[in-house]
Amino acid sequence: MLQILASRGDLVLLRDSVEWEGRSLLKALIREVALKGEQVQVLGCEVSEEVFREGLDSDTNSRLVYHDVFRDPQGWTGNWGPLGILRACLRGAEPGPCTLAVDSLSWLLLHAPCSALCQTLRALGHDNSHPGRVRVLGLLHEDVHGPGPLGALRSLAQIEVTVGGNLGFTTAQVFHPKPRHRSIEQTYWFSILPNFSLEFHKETLLEPRPHRGPQSPTVDAMADLTFNVHLSKKEREARDTLALPFHFSSEKQQSLLHPALASSTSQIFYEPDADDYLDQEDPDDDLDI
Amino acid sequence: MAALTTGFGRARQGGAGDPREYKAETAAGGDKLGGGGGGGDRGCSFLRKVSVPGSGGGGGGGARLRSIAGTRPSVQNGQLLVSAGLPALDQLLGGGLAVGTLLLIEEDKYNIYSSLIFKYFLAEGIVCGHTLLVASAKEDPGDILQELPEPLHDDNYKKVLDEGRSHKSQEEPEISMKIAWRYQNLPQMEAGPGTSSRFGHYYDVSKRMSQEVIQSAKWHKFFLPEEITSYANVESCALNHGYTKLLHFIQRVISEQGFDGSNPQKKQKNILRIGIQSLGSPLWGDDICCADTPEHMHSLTRFLYVLRGLLRMSLSACIITVPSHLIQNKAVTSRIRNLSDTVVGLESFIGSEKEANSLYKDYHGLIHIHQIPRLNSLICDVSDTKDLAFKLQRKVFTIERLHLPPDLSDTVSRSSKRDLVESAKQLSPGCGMMAGGKEHLDF
Repeated sequence: MLQILASRGDLVLLRDSVEWEGRSLLKALIREVALKGEQVQVLGCEVSEEVFREGLDSDTNSRLVYHDVFRDPQGWTGNWGPLGILRACLRGAEPGPCTLAVDSLSWLLLHAPCSALCQTLRALGHDNSHPGRVRVLGLLHEDVHGPGPLGALRSLAQIEVTVGGNLGFTTAQVFHPKPRHRSIEQTYWFSILPNFSLEFHKETLLEPRPHRGPQSPTVDAMADLTFNVHLSKKEREARDTLALPFHFSSEKQQSLLHPALASSTSQIFYEPDADDYLDQEDPDDDLDI
Repeated sequence: MAALTTGFGRARQGGAGDPREYKAETAAGGDKLGGGGGGGDRGCSFLRKVSVPGSGGGGGGGARLRSIAGTRPSVQNGQLLVSAGLPALDQLLGGGLAVGTLLLIEEDKYNIYSSLIFKYFLAEGIVCGHTLLVASAKEDPGDILQELPEPLHDDNYKKVLDEGRSHKSQEEPEISMKIAWRYQNLPQMEAGPGTSSRFGHYYDVSKRMSQEVIQSAKWHKFFLPEEITSYANVESCALNHGYTKLLHFIQRVISEQGFDGSNPQKKQKNILRIGIQSLGSPLWGDDICCADTPEHMHSLTRFLYVLRGLLRMSLSACIITVPSHLIQNKAVTSRIRNLSDTVVGLESFIGSEKEANSLYKDYHGLIHIHQIPRLNSLICDVSDTKDLAFKLQRKVFTIERLHLPPDLSDTVSRSSKRDLVESAKQLSPGCGMMAGGKEHLDF
């Protein structure tokens, strides 16, 4: 799963909901990244620093640079406000590949206008001091927002991970749209251990993706017919060789050009009736016989 | 109003237009009909009025406009047309995009195919030698220009198209029609390169345009994060700050470079192609896509109104992509459509349930032509097919007619028949007759 998240300059959206929370997945991903020796900047808005660092080992904790907004959400101690802190997250970072985890984008959406947040996120991903090497992991609670802000953030994100769960396993549906039917859409089953490491499981017997609905049972229409619908081989050959009525074939051309040949096949016999009125005179006098 | 009254130069001469010119031409025997041509009109006492003074060298007669590269007059209403980059799209829009009008592309969900059409438009501009103006808030316009597709020459195009067709025929054998054999001779949707002269060009999407060609092009760029360096949340009264700056920029380019005819002594006239990407998205500072009741609901509509005024008074054509799938308020969407001239909507199947529908398995999405302008006429040239689908092959973006299967009665089941009915309802009434309600009349 981490291979998909390996690309840089991306916004990865972790969408969770009331049914299954996504913060533990976020922490697990942070742990994975920190184990590779990278520094992770964390913007914590929803929970306090102690609660966030709880469960992570000391190695990971030493690589976490925590920017705390939870302590002062309204910015009374003279900070710049939530977006300002978001922008400032990367300022003190060491040059090189960098990961920024936002504890939640939902909190930022509720405290800042959506368009400003989108502009800030885009500017972060394309920061000049870290050209093309910043990865932003954002947690988003999709129940909190309407379709508008949700759609705006989804269009900004390159990778979407939807967190769900079933029967004690966590599922993550990763979606990475690409052109020409090459979009990557994959579901992972795993469980998150207490030390926030990921243990992947094989795909269990859960149903596949819900939007492929169950097939309705087909009815064979050809079952109880009173006439024959199928053709035997001989009949099919005879049908293929049949000349169509409106085809102007050479035989038809010959029969039209040489009517004498065809006269033997069809003739018209007329016997005048007693009541028929045969007038030899032509009243209009325009027939040239 | 230079743009919309262009067309044939003959249209300008009042009074005895055609008979006089015909006589003059036959009399002169096809020679140059120079200005003040008393000598050319034998047997005709009228003096030819020269409408373009000092035209000299340039092209043919003094009365005819010098043609601008990459344009041609429309056969329907005489407007000057430019190609949109895709000959299939030109055919659907009635020959091309009229100079002075606005083409609005409603983006597909992940902005994959609409950015491709955007790039086709810009690439066509470079190939024809037009000036470009690229504005974006998401990507640097320089990066957009680096990703333009490479133009193909005629013989290469035949090869590419045959490649595409041979792929298709491997999947299903060609069945020659036996009873309806006349339909086999009907022309395909897309005209080959031999039929049109140098109006539309063909591009290879798998390759990039070469650096020399891009360097030789003249273009202006507007990148919003560079223009607005301070993050002040103060919005000016009527228009969004970003929109105001963009309009000022466009106006400056038009007047300085003389696209509105303000410098008549300048050299050859040229067309300005304006491309604005993802207008209305949150990256432009507009909340029309984010909120159900946006604060500045009229920002985008005012921008379009002013932009169209700028376009009408200059020799320019504009393409705008708008993420209208994010706009929650349907009234805003219809206002935006009314304020644009040509509206094309793209709907891709990525990530949607339609991907599984067997009807759509060959295609990557649907294309809807919502609106075509009626310029100086009462009717517009709407194509007779409303069901169009597109697919992006390896090298070529093709638009084809979508053939819906016939709607059979209830006893014969079809897989996902219900889906077909639903999807057919969303298509415009062209095929609505076929898939009429969910209940079928039983006789």
